[in-house]
Amino acid sequence: MTGPEGPVEAAFFDGMTARRWAARIAPAPDGLSLVILREGAAPLSWRFDRLRALADESDATRLTLTVLAETEDEAPRDPARLVVTDPAAVAWLLRTRPGLMRRDLRAGTFRKVALWLGGAVAAVVMMLYVILPGLADYLAEHLPRETEVAFGRSVMRQVEWIVSDESGADLACTDAEGLAALDAMKARLVGERDLGYEIELRVFDHEMVNAFAAPGGQVVIFRGLIDEAESAEEVAAVLGHEIGHVVARDPIRLTLRAVGSAGILSLILGDVTGGTVIAAAGEHVLQTSYTREAETAADAFAYRLLNEAGISSEPMAGFFDRIAKMTDLLPEYLSSHPLSAGRAEAARVNAAAQTATAPVLNAAEWQALRGICKD
Amino acid sequence: MSFNDRLTASYSGGRGPLFGLAFRTALLTLLTLGIYRFWAKTRIRKYIWSSIRLGGDTLEYTGTGLEKFLGFLVAVVVLAVYLGLVQLVLFYFGLHFVVEPQTEAEILMQMSVFYLSFFALVPLMLFARYRARRYMLARTRFRGIRFGMDKAAWGYVWRAIGHGILTFLSLGLLLPRQTFWLEKYKTDRSHYGDTRFVQGGKWTALYPAMRGYFLGFALLVASIVYIAMSRLGSADRIAVAQFLPLGLLAVFGFGFVYYRVHSFRYLTAQKTLAGAVGFLALPRTGRVLGIYIVGALVVGLIVSFIFGVIGGVFAVSVAAAENGATPGAGSIVIIAALYLVALAMLGALALVFIIQPVIAHFTETMTVLNPAALDAVRQRAHDAGADAEGFADALDLGAAV
Repeated sequence: MTGPEGPVEAAFFDGMTARRWAARIAPAPDGLSLVILREGAAPLSWRFDRLRALADESDATRLTLTVLAETEDEAPRDPARLVVTDPAAVAWLLRTRPGLMRRDLRAGTFRKVALWLGGAVAAVVMMLYVILPGLADYLAEHLPRETEVAFGRSVMRQVEWIVSDESGADLACTDAEGLAALDAMKARLVGERDLGYEIELRVFDHEMVNAFAAPGGQVVIFRGLIDEAESAEEVAAVLGHEIGHVVARDPIRLTLRAVGSAGILSLILGDVTGGTVIAAAGEHVLQTSYTREAETAADAFAYRLLNEAGISSEPMAGFFDRIAKMTDLLPEYLSSHPLSAGRAEAARVNAAAQTATAPVLNAAEWQALRGICKD
Repeated sequence: MSFNDRLTASYSGGRGPLFGLAFRTALLTLLTLGIYRFWAKTRIRKYIWSSIRLGGDTLEYTGTGLEKFLGFLVAVVVLAVYLGLVQLVLFYFGLHFVVEPQTEAEILMQMSVFYLSFFALVPLMLFARYRARRYMLARTRFRGIRFGMDKAAWGYVWRAIGHGILTFLSLGLLLPRQTFWLEKYKTDRSHYGDTRFVQGGKWTALYPAMRGYFLGFALLVASIVYIAMSRLGSADRIAVAQFLPLGLLAVFGFGFVYYRVHSFRYLTAQKTLAGAVGFLALPRTGRVLGIYIVGALVVGLIVSFIFGVIGGVFAVSVAAAENGATPGAGSIVIIAALYLVALAMLGALALVFIIQPVIAHFTETMTVLNPAALDAVRQRAHDAGADAEGFADALDLGAAV
């Protein structure tokens, strides 16, 4: 359309009807605009500096043109389209009109994106860290005790069923003298205190160095923890810690929190490559941030029980020192518990303030407890 | 009106350009931690839409990555609130029905009851599906004229749930009824410009499309009867029973594609644009199955070759480490990066060798009757598109394209 051949054929759609118009196009004499001529319609003139082409079209030999216009459409474009297929014209347009592929963001787009992004992040963070935990705590407070106990029993059944699947045998240890020693320890710790729950205490025959509390007063200590402990006081401190969870209703509270936030992170990541792994990791960090404060509170409760019962917390410090090698591999924000090094320090500080202490079990009882799983 | 005039569509997209576009945008998606995926999908759609031609004119996709991104943000907030509250409250009330389980079956049942909150998502998924279709139509133009769809997503949701339950209760026998009425609901609310699509026909006419399923069912019954009646030893019976699932999977897989293809044929032939423009679709089950099987083989071969190379690099670096050279975090990072790149390539290859050929086949077997009547269609108003498919993206319903 630049050369001596004169105007070039093109197809035109006016954006008002689906009719395909045969058009001829040529630059205006002043060179500032493109003139579109049709039979039976007035000539149109599109200014070159407002001329735009569609991007990512599959056919490189044609060019679909439109014009920059303030419309309410998804992009600021006039609905009319001009399809140029003449090779010389396509080449000329691409060569001499560098602005053809411009994006033309509306004014205020960046502000809008920043606002929406900030709002969305704030809403999700608010949901995960304020609303869901608050609601979970509220519901946990208002759950009838009988329901919590029934749920705890159901959870314990599931745990037994899953764990015993591997070993095939009943896990609970039943040595009579060992159970008596365990009872003595519980009585010494709890005393006359009303905890609001019947503590159902059991030892599972498993090598894991761990203990846990299920909702409604179910407390389990694994044999591995008793083997690892060097004195009865260490086991008593752990027991006090788990009772602290029971009294604070932590198991049901944390279950409700986990249920509420499940799946929200994977929602955000969607179908990103490797998104599932990132979502799982994120969920882990979220859960552990929920639990660390609960752990610290349970530690404090354990010290109260120990102090009132006159049991030394000094051995506990040694216990934390020993397991620190295993537990402190991860930084604290990735871990469900506070770092063992810090907990050892807290146990030592508490012990320094303790006055008169007496052993929680006598030597014979401690030996019986160590043999609770010998049957 | 003359349905003797007809125009068959064609598809002009190429493998190389689409692979280049898909792979480049997938890499950008990786580099931006997933944020670019809205722009990536938009650009790929622009390419594919512009490859679909009818009488020399192509479709145009006018969606933008930005509006998809913003729609996604809205959807995430709504879903986070909904999911969080619904899951929590359902679980809380579920707790009141917990009793101590006595048998393994009861334990399993109680564990699974707590996953029921998944069903709370079903209405949202259906909602998202309708809205995604509405968005796609609202962002598709032909000869400068917009397609569009009415705002009627909730009506679709309860209908789809009702039909789904009926189909389930009838053991699948009412599937044609579900397919027909849901397609009619969507079609009757779709427009090209100011002109409405109309879905004609009747649902019972879809039963011939169920042939593959019936064949699979007959085969299942026949094999069970054969195994039960024959005087095979128990060892032989087990051998036969082991092959049975595989055979059934193949037959029902064929039945699935056959139903999709032939219900599409019937429903398309019964559609008109306000009675003036008709359609004819003749896709073939064999061709579609062939594309999937050959495509999967080709993609599998290429990807296993690439992963083989990565494995080789890994083996070499391990060997180097054993020889005393420092193993270094560097080589691990390189391997992880290669792994992600290979995954991105897998997506691009699947698009080029499976999805695009299927779209091309459906396009090239599509004929428009009386296309001259299209000239009378007038423009329709812009549809803001609401969440721009955000719900479908967040719920992972979005297909590759």
